Amino acid sequence: MRQTLQGAAVWGLGVALALTLPGALWKSAQPPPFPIHALLPAALALVSLSLAAPLAVWAGGPALAARRTLALVEAPPDLLWAALVLALWPAAWGPPGMGGWTLAFLLAALPGEMRWLAQALPAEFPFPAAWGARAVRRARGLALARLWGSWVAARLPLWLTAALVIERLLGVPGLGTDWMDRIARRDRAGLAAWILVLAVLWLLARPLEREAA
Amino acid sequence: MKGRLAFLMAFLLPELPLDPFRGGLGPSLLHPLGLDDLGRDGLLRLLLAASRSLGFASLCALLALGLGLILALGGTRYRGALSALRNLPPLLFLLPLAAALGGLGRLPLAFLLGGLLALHLEAPLRARVAAFRRSPAWLTETVMGAGPASRLRRWAPWGLEQLAPLFPGAWLGALWGEATLSALGLGPGPTHDSLGRILAEELPRLATDPSPLGWAALAAVLALAWTSTPGSVFKVGCGRARGAAQARQGKRRWQ
Repeated sequence: MRQTLQGAAVWGLGVALALTLPGALWKSAQPPPFPIHALLPAALALVSLSLAAPLAVWAGGPALAARRTLALVEAPPDLLWAALVLALWPAAWGPPGMGGWTLAFLLAALPGEMRWLAQALPAEFPFPAAWGARAVRRARGLALARLWGSWVAARLPLWLTAALVIERLLGVPGLGTDWMDRIARRDRAGLAAWILVLAVLWLLARPLEREAA
Repeated sequence: MKGRLAFLMAFLLPELPLDPFRGGLGPSLLHPLGLDDLGRDGLLRLLLAASRSLGFASLCALLALGLGLILALGGTRYRGALSALRNLPPLLFLLPLAAALGGLGRLPLAFLLGGLLALHLEAPLRARVAAFRRSPAWLTETVMGAGPASRLRRWAPWGLEQLAPLFPGAWLGALWGEATLSALGLGPGPTHDSLGRILAEELPRLATDPSPLGWAALAAVLALAWTSTPGSVFKVGCGRARGAAQARQGKRRWQ
């Protein structure tokens, strides 16, 4: 309880800082409109990621965490995937846009998430492996179902960072860029709302930390 | 760790001479990656920039370990506050800050990166320090009244041994953090050449022009990612949660 209160105090301080953000623009500007157009692609990418990673881990099991090929795909930074998409995107298709963004995002995030989930799965030897493949699949399914909510909450801020880096490199305005636009235009209320969202995600991800303690 | 720290010497290397009249020359036997817009040899520039990036990452990782140790020694009461601060990925904080300030200088960036990475190193360092504080050897020295200087002399090598496994993760986190900021044009100024800065210059032309320097910089990033130890703090993000998974697996190995 004490730790939660401390965390809440930090987030409260963050909101206060956002509301009193120093600096003013030389010309008054409207706060940037929320990028509603980016919501659907972001939701699609999020749903793909939050379904594909658990499904792959369900099929591959904890052994995926030690898979060398997965580690090789996971190792490069988000920046490299965005740069490769930008460099290899056929000029005839026009700018990469949201399609390129989704591709780079999935390339950057999916391998890491698969490894993260695979590491979090309980060991399968001697049980439930001794009870047969069906028991193993059921045990994996139950573990992943229990992890899913906290995993998404814990990793969302990180996915937002990846989205921001890829958006900036590909020149695609989206949710990550919105965070930066509000700082640039000194939209204090919008920024405070973003910090509140991050605070809620922290609260939702707390069970994972409690397990660690 | 020693190999990585050796790259700190890269800051002492001289700058490459500029020759704008020969800028933009294509690859040749003498200059395999051609010359950049300011007439510098592409290969030499890439080697120098990569060494400086690695040196900068070593500096940030050292700062992060030092700050993390201070937090681990004194921050046990503020575990909840540290957990909340850890939840904000470093780049999510650094990118808008750098954009608002029009880029970050080398030293402020090193301290910011070090501080942000220290938050992620605090939990593993606290676990090591807690085990050490309860150890009979340390308690005996405390009871016997050993002075701080003798304790430091006796325990410093052991402390370094404990810190060494955490160094590669912090180093990679700093390396990618600086590379990302520089690739987005928000890193240190033109006097600080780095891998990210080369990418920032070459990325816009990668798709249209032959840009051997740009492709070589991308290959260097890929090679660094593949040859370095996995487990960067920036990639891991919620380090504690991942630590939990590792700890659980570790426990299971013991059981």
